[in-house]
Amino acid sequence: MTSKNKKTVIAEFHTVKRIDNSRLVRHVEPAKMRNLWRTVGLGGVVAAFFTLYVFQHFRCIDLSFQLEDLRAQQMQAAGKNAELKLEIAGLRNPMRIDAIARRRLGLSDPMPTQVQEYEAPAGAEEASARYARPNHTP
Amino acid sequence: MQQDRVHVRLLIIAGVAFLWMGAVAGRLSYLQLFRHSEYLTRAQRQQQRTIEITPKRGAIYDRNNSPLAMSLPVDSAFGVPSEIPDEHLAARLLSGVVNVPQEVLEARFESSKSFAWISRKLPPEKAQAIAALNLKGVYLQKENQRFYPKRDLAAHVLGFVDVDEKGLAGIERELDSQIRGKNEKVIVMADARQRWFDRSEDERESATSVTLTLDEKIQFIAERELASAIAKTHALAGTIIVMNPNNGEILALTNWPKFNPSKAGDAPKESWTNRAVSDVYEPGSIFKLITLSAAFDQGITRPEEVFDCQNGAVTVSGHRIRDHKPFGMLSVAEILAKSSNVGTIEIALRLEGPKFYDYVRAFGFGSMTGVDMPYESRGRLEGLKDMKPLAVASISIGQEIGVTPIQFITAVSAIANGGILYKPHVIAELRRGDRVLPADGPLAPEHPKRVIRPETAATLRRLMEGVILNGTGTPAHLDGWTAAGKTGTAQKIDPETGRYSPTNYIASFTGLAPINNPAVTILISLDSPVGLHEGGEVAAPVFKRVAEQVLPYLDVPQDVPLNPKLIQAAYRKQPSEDTSSLEDSATMDFSGQPDATPAASQKTTVGGGSRPASQPPITVAVEQGGDIAVPDLSGKTMREVTEMCLRLGFEPVLVGSNLATEQSPAAGSKVKHGARITVQFGTPVQKKTPLRTGNRN
Repeated sequence: MTSKNKKTVIAEFHTVKRIDNSRLVRHVEPAKMRNLWRTVGLGGVVAAFFTLYVFQHFRCIDLSFQLEDLRAQQMQAAGKNAELKLEIAGLRNPMRIDAIARRRLGLSDPMPTQVQEYEAPAGAEEASARYARPNHTP
Repeated sequence: MQQDRVHVRLLIIAGVAFLWMGAVAGRLSYLQLFRHSEYLTRAQRQQQRTIEITPKRGAIYDRNNSPLAMSLPVDSAFGVPSEIPDEHLAARLLSGVVNVPQEVLEARFESSKSFAWISRKLPPEKAQAIAALNLKGVYLQKENQRFYPKRDLAAHVLGFVDVDEKGLAGIERELDSQIRGKNEKVIVMADARQRWFDRSEDERESATSVTLTLDEKIQFIAERELASAIAKTHALAGTIIVMNPNNGEILALTNWPKFNPSKAGDAPKESWTNRAVSDVYEPGSIFKLITLSAAFDQGITRPEEVFDCQNGAVTVSGHRIRDHKPFGMLSVAEILAKSSNVGTIEIALRLEGPKFYDYVRAFGFGSMTGVDMPYESRGRLEGLKDMKPLAVASISIGQEIGVTPIQFITAVSAIANGGILYKPHVIAELRRGDRVLPADGPLAPEHPKRVIRPETAATLRRLMEGVILNGTGTPAHLDGWTAAGKTGTAQKIDPETGRYSPTNYIASFTGLAPINNPAVTILISLDSPVGLHEGGEVAAPVFKRVAEQVLPYLDVPQDVPLNPKLIQAAYRKQPSEDTSSLEDSATMDFSGQPDATPAASQKTTVGGGSRPASQPPITVAVEQGGDIAVPDLSGKTMREVTEMCLRLGFEPVLVGSNLATEQSPAAGSKVKHGARITVQFGTPVQKKTPLRTGNRN
């Protein structure tokens, strides 16, 4: 072991070589930078479009659900409206009104001498027409 | 060396990644290219639902846009028997809700494995009860149901529909194709929880609604008066038509017996018949109007010309035709007023068959009027070759000819408007949304045609006025308006003997008012009245009651001053009449669905009011509400009454002579200063007998 070590002993010298690269200027290729930014921009645009597409897609589905809910509410309201119209029509049944007037309220037809017709003052018709509420059921 | 190793590892990873990506891409390609249709179908089956939308039937309105018929969605229950685990149990549970026997439901479930109706068009509470059962394989589906909010008002005009909303009668049938619409399918997208989120549908057309020429107020007046007349006369059937003679619009059309269109199946089928357009009957004496129209228009006679009525009988072709009462010499005006058969026959024979036939046809008899209601009859009229003297004589007095009420009122309207025959109609317009649809096909307006000269019509109207003033139709005299009319009492054919029945009659009256510019023509027909049976006795008073309500409603100005005596006479009997008419309609029930809320129906239930039924009605008086008590004027002279009234600040209206017998307002009523007090004078012990014409026609 000792003899072997003796044979292989080589003197080594460690030298320090000082290299000063401070004077070197790293050259950036403008074309490559442009490509880089172009790629980044394009990627960003693609990502934005993709994100927008995904957002739109799911927003559309979400709105579709809301729309269907509103449609259901609208149909329900329309049905209720129709029911109320039907009820109003039934309540306005002349036969019903006549029965209430005669039986419950004890009313009867006025005698002709008890009915007085008054002449409307000038402009009364126009005034009443102006304030009349349109009554178009359909 | 080490770098080589790194390169190898990277290549392995890249290869694995490439293979993985290739596998994914390959799988995707396989699915997209080779299994595309299969998975598309599966996805659609999972996500798409096709729903069928039953069209909502268009509404029917009166001329003032008051709804007479509407459709609303209601629930119907059905089952898919293959999905029902225990049909016996399901049938038992459902039976208790829908009131259908369990066996019937079980039979329905067994008849089909894919679909079985449980009950259709359920009330909301029953639908909720079925939903609450939460039975597997049992579903609810929306269907439209027809409602008639005015119940039996204008039932014969409106008609009715079956359970599938198909029109079976009336306007519902006539315009079924227009107002029914078409079934439409809508594809909806649903998520995993079966929530809809998208749909594809074409723009749907809104239902076609119908506006009628009917006025529900006039219709109600006509129906109320017809019901009252039927109750009084115990007639088997009856018809009232109110028409605007100036354009052929039907303002009211009613028949008795009537039915509730919402429950048409419960009513006897006879009540479905629209007698106004379908019933053919011999018109009797009212047809003399047509005979005289032809005679005047041809200029073969004048109102003043006198005919010998041969003391009550005339022989034509060996057949003896009698008058209802022997008459001697009568002018043409008197012939119409007294309704002499002999006089009319003599005029008709002078006219001769072909010309008479032409006029009868021109007035529309023997052919359909084209009224926009189904099942119209053309009536019965012999051909020209059969117009022998006997046929002419018979037809001239309204025998051996069959007419429908709508034919006759159309003809009378021509006399009313100056001689122009308009096509009668009940449909004013069809609307889809806010758009008025063009009237085409059978709804297209027809050019009116002149059938008699205006002078002829004017002469007829004057003579018809005589019928009311001093003829057979005096009970039709209107208070405040001039009126013209004609009575008719036609013997019905006894189906057993084939001869004229001595006991069954059709009493009718047709009239117009006012005379100079008629606003309405009215026809009343009562089939087989019991007891009093002549047109002047039973139909003419109905004309009076209908016209006196319709004319003020239409704002027709009065053209003659009120006759206070007639007013008193007319209203003296009113309380009892009102009571009876109310009793007639005591079966009215407003408590049922669909129109009344429980509270409203409770309020409107007949007899349910706070006022006792026996309490006399309160008369509405515009002068009332003051603080001066009206004194008792009975037994006082006119001078005393006048002095007393003036002293208290009242305006006396004195009617009649002798001593005060009645007054209005009644003694003790509180009225305002200046109120009008109407006092009837007469002999206190006098008791008036019912008005009787004593004439046959």
